[in-house]
Parts: sequence; C-alpha cells; structure tokens
Amino acid sequence: MSRIGVFICHCGENISRTVDVERVAQEVGKLPGVAFSTDYKYMCSDPGQNLLKKAIQDQKLSHIVVAACSPRMHEKTFRKAVEAAGLNPFLCEMANIREHCSWVHENKEEATVKAVEIVGMMVERVKKNRVLPTITVPVTKRALVIGGGIAGIQAALDIADCGHEVILVEREPSIGGHMAQLSETFPTLDCSQCIMTPKMVDVANHPRIKLYTYSEIELVEGYIGNFQVTIKRKARSVNEDTCTGCGVCMEKCPVRKIPNKFDCNLGMRPAIYVPFPQAVPNTPVIDRENCIKFKTGKCGLCQKVCGPGAVDYEQEDSLVVEAVGAIVVATGFDLYTIDEKPKGSAIKGYGEFGHGKIPDVIDGMTFERLASASGPTGGKILRPSDGREPKQIVFIQCIGSRAREKGISYCSKVCCMYTAKHTMLYHHKVHDGQAYVFFMDARTPGKSYDEFWRRSIEEEEAVYIRGMVSRLYQKGDKIVVMGSDIAVGVQVEIEADMVVLATAVQPQKGADLLAQKLGISYDKYNFYSEAHAKLRPVECATAGIYLAGACQGPKDIPETVGQASAAAAKVMTLFSKDKLEREPIVARVKESGCVGCFACKKVCAYGAVEEKEIRDRQGNLIKTVAFVNPGVCAGCGTCQATCPSKCVELDGYTDEQVIAMIEAL
Amino acid sequence: MSKPNIMEYSYYPGCSLHASAGEYDLSTRELFKVLGIGLTEVPDWFCCGATPAHNVDELLSLSLCAKNLELADKVEGDLAVACAACFSRLKTTQHVLAESDVKRKQVEKAIDAPLKLEGKVKHLLEILATDLGLERLAAAVNKPLSGLKVACYYGCLLTRPTDVTNLDCVEAPTIMERVIEAAGATTVPWSHRMECCGANFTLSRPGVVIQLTNAILDSAKAAGADCIMVGCPLCHGNLDIRQKEIEGVYNVEYALPVFYLTQLVGLATGLGPDKLGLDAMIVNPTPLLKEKQLL
Repeated sequence: MSRIGVFICHCGENISRTVDVERVAQEVGKLPGVAFSTDYKYMCSDPGQNLLKKAIQDQKLSHIVVAACSPRMHEKTFRKAVEAAGLNPFLCEMANIREHCSWVHENKEEATVKAVEIVGMMVERVKKNRVLPTITVPVTKRALVIGGGIAGIQAALDIADCGHEVILVEREPSIGGHMAQLSETFPTLDCSQCIMTPKMVDVANHPRIKLYTYSEIELVEGYIGNFQVTIKRKARSVNEDTCTGCGVCMEKCPVRKIPNKFDCNLGMRPAIYVPFPQAVPNTPVIDRENCIKFKTGKCGLCQKVCGPGAVDYEQEDSLVVEAVGAIVVATGFDLYTIDEKPKGSAIKGYGEFGHGKIPDVIDGMTFERLASASGPTGGKILRPSDGREPKQIVFIQCIGSRAREKGISYCSKVCCMYTAKHTMLYHHKVHDGQAYVFFMDARTPGKSYDEFWRRSIEEEEAVYIRGMVSRLYQKGDKIVVMGSDIAVGVQVEIEADMVVLATAVQPQKGADLLAQKLGISYDKYNFYSEAHAKLRPVECATAGIYLAGACQGPKDIPETVGQASAAAAKVMTLFSKDKLEREPIVARVKESGCVGCFACKKVCAYGAVEEKEIRDRQGNLIKTVAFVNPGVCAGCGTCQATCPSKCVELDGYTDEQVIAMIEAL
Repeated sequence: MSKPNIMEYSYYPGCSLHASAGEYDLSTRELFKVLGIGLTEVPDWFCCGATPAHNVDELLSLSLCAKNLELADKVEGDLAVACAACFSRLKTTQHVLAESDVKRKQVEKAIDAPLKLEGKVKHLLEILATDLGLERLAAAVNKPLSGLKVACYYGCLLTRPTDVTNLDCVEAPTIMERVIEAAGATTVPWSHRMECCGANFTLSRPGVVIQLTNAILDSAKAAGADCIMVGCPLCHGNLDIRQKEIEGVYNVEYALPVFYLTQLVGLATGLGPDKLGLDAMIVNPTPLLKEKQLL
C-alpha cells in the first residue's frame, strides 16, 4: 500500500490568490493512498524542501506529489530533494496548479475545485510510478562549433583553451563573419579588423581547433555526449595544405569583374579569390560558376602559375564524419534585403524605398564597406552611382524592424547604435556634409551607449528627425526623401545625395534547414529558441546543443561575445564529467507482444529504435522485435502512440497511468 | 486554377459613375461587352457612404456597405467595383466585420438582415488582370496603344491599407502597368504613383488639393508621360478638372489627358470615342490620340 505525501505550494501569492490551498490540502488528504498532505508558501525554497524531506522520513512516505508550478520549472528541484531523503526521485510527480489553474482562472471557488482534481489525477498517476535507475552514457569530450563569426570564434577559443578539441565549421571560404566586414565598432570606434583579425589568427594557430571552412553540416546523428556529425567540405579547387597564400593565381586570373559579396557587391574580385586580404585561411577558392576553366575547359592559368602546384581542378566535394559530445550553434545573421520579397514568406517588401532600383540607396552593411579602410573605396564615402562624395546623407532607421504590417515585429537592436556610428564616420570623412536620421525611438541600453548616441547629435552634428519616411524617389541626381517630423508635426522633404537604410537583422538564410538537421526549435522568424528565455538563455531544449550570437536573436558584439563564452562554459560543464547521467524517462518494449512491425522505428525522430533478435536455446531465430536504446531515447512518446499492438510504453506515461488519471476526474 | 468560360459579375457602379464619372460607367459597360464579360447592376444599390460616413459614424458606414453587399449577394457572380473609394469601403467593411463579433451583431441589427460577407469584391483591375488574365486581354486588343506613354496613378485607396484590399503589393504595385502594357502601351516609372491627390478636400480646402495634385502632374510630366491613367473618379476629378487651374497657379503647361483605365483599354480593343465618353474629358485627349494615330 502506498503512502503518498502531497505538498501544496502557495507560490507566494501566485497560486494562493486564486486557489484555496488549505482546502486543497484538506480535500486531497482524504484520497485513498494519501498519508500526508500540507501546504507551504514557497515549496521550492530551502525551508520548503526541508519540510518535504522531513515528512518523507517522519511519515515514511512512499510516493510524492508536489502541487505547484509547471514541471518544466521545478521538477528537477523536487526530485533532487526526494532523492536526498532516500526515495527514488522518479516516485515524485508535480501537479501543475499554477500555469494550468491559478494563472488562467479568476473565480476562486472554481479554481479550487479544479486544483483538487489536478492533484487527484497526479495522485493516481504516481501510485503506478516505477522505481527507475538513472541511465549513464559516456561523453565524447570534443565540441562542434557551427559558424565562424565572432560568436563561433569566441566559443571555439574558450573551449579549446580549456583543453578540449574543437571542430569549427564555416560555410564561407574564410572565418570572420559579419564582424570582419565592419569598419569601426560602437561605442568606442575601434577598428573592427584590428580587434577581429588577431582572434581569427588565434583560431588558425590553435593546436586544438580543427577548422573546416567552405564546409557545411550535412547530417547530425546521436545525442548529448555522443553526436556523429557529417560535414560536407565543398571543393575549394585549391589544396589547403600546399597553398602558400602567395596570391599569384589571383593576380593572373583573367576574370576580374565578379561582384565581391564581402564588399556588398561594390568591389570586384577574380574567379579565384579570397574574400578579403586578411582571410583565414588565406587559401583562395575557385568560384566554379565564373571560372573560364570550369565553363569552357580552356584557360588553366592559375594552375600554371602556382609554384607549389596547389590548384586542383579535379577536387570534389567530400564528406567527413566527426564524433563530438556537444554542439554550439553560432550561425549569425543576415540583413533583410528589402528589394526582394521572400517567396512564401509573410514578410512584405519595401518597394517604396527604391532599394535595388536607385543605386545610391544602400543598406547599413554597404555603408560599412564604404567607410572601411579595407573597403572598395579605401575608406572614402562615395556614391555607387557616380563616385561623388555625398554632401547630404539621410539615414533611415527601422527598415523592416518593428513593422508588424510588413511582417517583422521585433526590434533589431543594433541599428540605433550603428546609425549613430555611421553619422560620426560620415562627419569625420565629409567635413562639409550634413547627416539626417529619421528614427522612431533611439534605443541605446548598453554601457556607454546613450552617451555615444548623444555625441552623434551634440558633437558630430547629426540632425535627428523623429518620424518615418513614407517614400523616396530619384529626381535628377538627387534622392527626394519624403517623411514626417512628428515632434513638430510637419511634412519634411530632403533632397539627399545618398540614403542609408538600417535594414532589419534576420537569421541566416537556411537557418530553418540547419535547425531541422540539428533537431532544435526555432521561432516564426527562424531565430533559434533557447530552453528558457531567462534562466537557460544559451541552451537549446535539445540536450547538448547550445546557442551563441545573433542566430538566437539580434545582438551586438559585446552581447554576442558574452553569450559565446557562456555557451562555452556550458560545454565545459558537460565535459567536466566522464559519464553523463540521463533521465530514465524512456520507452520500453514489451517483447512478448511485439510483432516486429517496426512502426515505432519509422516514427522515432531520434533513431533510438533498433531491431533485436529473439532466439531459443538452440540459437534458432524466434522473432525480431523492437528495442529502444535508452541512451538515445528522448522520451517523446511517439512510439507509444504509434504501436498498433500497444507494446511500447514510456515510463511515467503508460496507458495504465493515463487511464488512472482520467478515471480520477 | 481553371477559369470559367462565361464570366458573370454583379456590378456596383457607385454614385460617381452615375454622375460626374459617367464616362467611366459607359466605358466599363462597353469594354466588358467587347470582352464578353457579363455585368448585372445590383438592383436598388445605394451610396457606400464614401468618405463622410465613416468619419461621422462607423456603424453607419459599415451598415451602408453591409446592406449593399447583401443586395449584391442576390445577383450571380463576384461583385465588380469601378470606383476606388467604393472598393475600399466595401472591402474595409468585409475586413472589419470578419474580425469583430460585436460589430457584426450591431450591423446585423441595423440592416435587419443576415450578413453576407463571403462574396468576393473585385476592382475592375483585378477582373482584367487576374480573372480574365493578361493573355486573353492582350488577345482582345485590335489597336495596340503603341507609342503611348502612360503614367499609371494608383492614388491612396486601391492598395491601402495593408491586408484590406489585397489588390497588389501595398506600396509598390504593378497591376495597372501590367494591364495597360497588355493593351500595347508603354508605362513610365515615376515617383508620385501612390501619393494623395487631396481627394475630397477639393471642395473644402482647394488650396491643399491644388498643391498636392500639382506635385503629381509635375512628376508625371517630368517622367515623360503623355497621359495619366486612373481607376478612381475622385482622383480623376482633381487631376483632370483642376488641371487648367493648376497650370494657371503655377504658370506651367501640363496638357496631360487623364483617362480611366477602361477608356484606354477600350480604345485598344477598337471601341470608338462615342463608346468611351472621351468628349467628357476636360483636358482634351484628341490631339494626343491623333498624334499617336490612335484615333
């Protein structure tokens, strides 16, 4: 006979405001099997947990129900307390009377009745809980970092510095990401290249970092501590081991007019190229779409001039498999391209701003390249159309961001600050120029951020106009910007020489596809979701996968670096043990009834179901049944719902338990 | 998607088309006859409330349109609407009532009839560009408008607000251009396609209208247009009727004929000036059309 203890939490006032907790404790105390019931203001606090432990010992309780918040919040807390009192932790269940009851009801009488029923259901369920042994799995102490921007670089360096091997995978030919494209950085105006490139070199030289550039994640298998990752290494057509990075091939390449993506298509590059001079690795790649050799079979000049014979036209894409224990996703962001209306997306374009049609309407990243000393103009602010210096420049913030009717409702977070920086860079370079900024709000919550913004107005003479622009159009060689100044309540028209649009920060294209490969969740904009918005901001709900940087949401550099180090710390925590303890809430197959249809195997998203042969003593095969690998099973229960002969059951969620819960209602 | 062979629409002309914009009504009926599209005028239709009603009383404005939609439901086919303002009011009513239970109940009580919100309300442009299709439209063209440079003027209401009219992209539409290019004309890219002409301030604050309309005419002329095409009687009024006055105020000469879309498309199908009501236009189109050998 079970001796169940029930503990009702007030959650401060969160529960007791709407639920009569004392009455719930009284009513539940009358249920068959319940030996003890009580209520307390904060069950999760130290005195609350002690109350629980003491009751287990004094009352000789066999099963526990804690009626409080969601199990997602505190199930671990209470199971740990139960374990400390000498009970198997899986004999403790939580009844959610906060999210499922007090928070969503107003009538105290009705909410109290409902709370009694919720607790009653859990009492019936816990009676049928089994003692479950903890599962341990080995941990492979190597990490995979996806994305070689500042987030990925920081995470990789931190993990490697702690003594573990890191595989860093980058899609582009060089690491560096968007930060390598920036000119100066706010709020100190130090040059991005100067603070970025040393870190890139550290990655390249680190004995414990294996760098795969021009590579993509093809397949991810396994689970926390034991992932197998297949990486596609795209054919570079240049051998990384023998290439010395002398650059003769690039000088001799007859194809010269390919717009360089790194320079936002302002500058040109040859068909064999490194994206920028400080690239890591400094090994060129052949752009096969534009290379004469690949298009016509002729040319071959780069191979002829290459001293070490590193150019290899025969190179093919190859696959490598790496075993890792943890994955840090740091795929970063992309800017919203306003002239393209993404197909099948709720996001609407900004045709009225003429981007893509009027050459001198550019986005923020293009301005960075113009302002950068290593950019296509050598750091001079010049118009793409005619190379003249713009004397009137208009910056428009919140293009795409905070525009619900255009499909994006979030704030991109960095634009207020980088626009303020742009006005300063402009003022430093064009002394007789005037910068105007159209803005909705100035959002500057960061250390020294507001001071920086004020400086752009007070010292660098930027004119800020609170209001949005409705339209702009080309008139002669000017761009007429029509907007409103809502502070004064007038319509404004500015004849500008150049317009810079602070377009929204979006996840990288294909972020959703990568998430599907990794089995992590993402929001409607394709930003990756953290396990808990406040308390687990760098972990994914999928165990063993961590997030760093703008792939999770718009972020500036300091925040990105902070999150990357945090993700690295989480990886180190995982690697600090040789064996990993896992929750034993896994599916079990009743082999006697299993007919071997393997419907469960087909639906298992984690590849946990294996085939197991049952043989008699003579070794003759009797039948083949399903077997759930407890190390891989994530406890989702899909197999249980699928099994036609009802022979797979998830511990803690068996049919018997669910029916008992329903009958308790 | 398969298209019906015989196209039938109920037709809501709106007050303007029975008054100042008679040529829009005439050219619409004649053009649709040529294209083999049936139009049955909604019996007993009345004013949609236009601009005044929704400024005074939302319930009144919704009820006027809801009643008209109910009347239109009795006639076969989707509802064809020529005037941009009627189109906007009818679509807004459908949109607002679909979102609000409270308002739906109020309006049902006011019109004392069950609401009919499912019927499709279509501007003539949609019927030509989508239902009939540009290919079939092009096939009906006998006299292509070759060499005629048209500035397509959308005004405020055809595409706005977002998610209400759903006619085309809200701020950068192309539906007018697509239609008139199918009729053989050339369109000019220009800046003021979507700017407000001042609308019905033409009576209360003519100074405002003259300023706004001048900017539109100026921009169309600067873009090299021969004429302007509209789909709204109110825009037409300001651009056409006020044009002479504006020329006087700003001491410029525009001489830009302002056509309804059905007049220009009708011309391309071979309809004569008498069937298009060209004589009702204040800025005389005859010299232009003769010069381009379209008359």
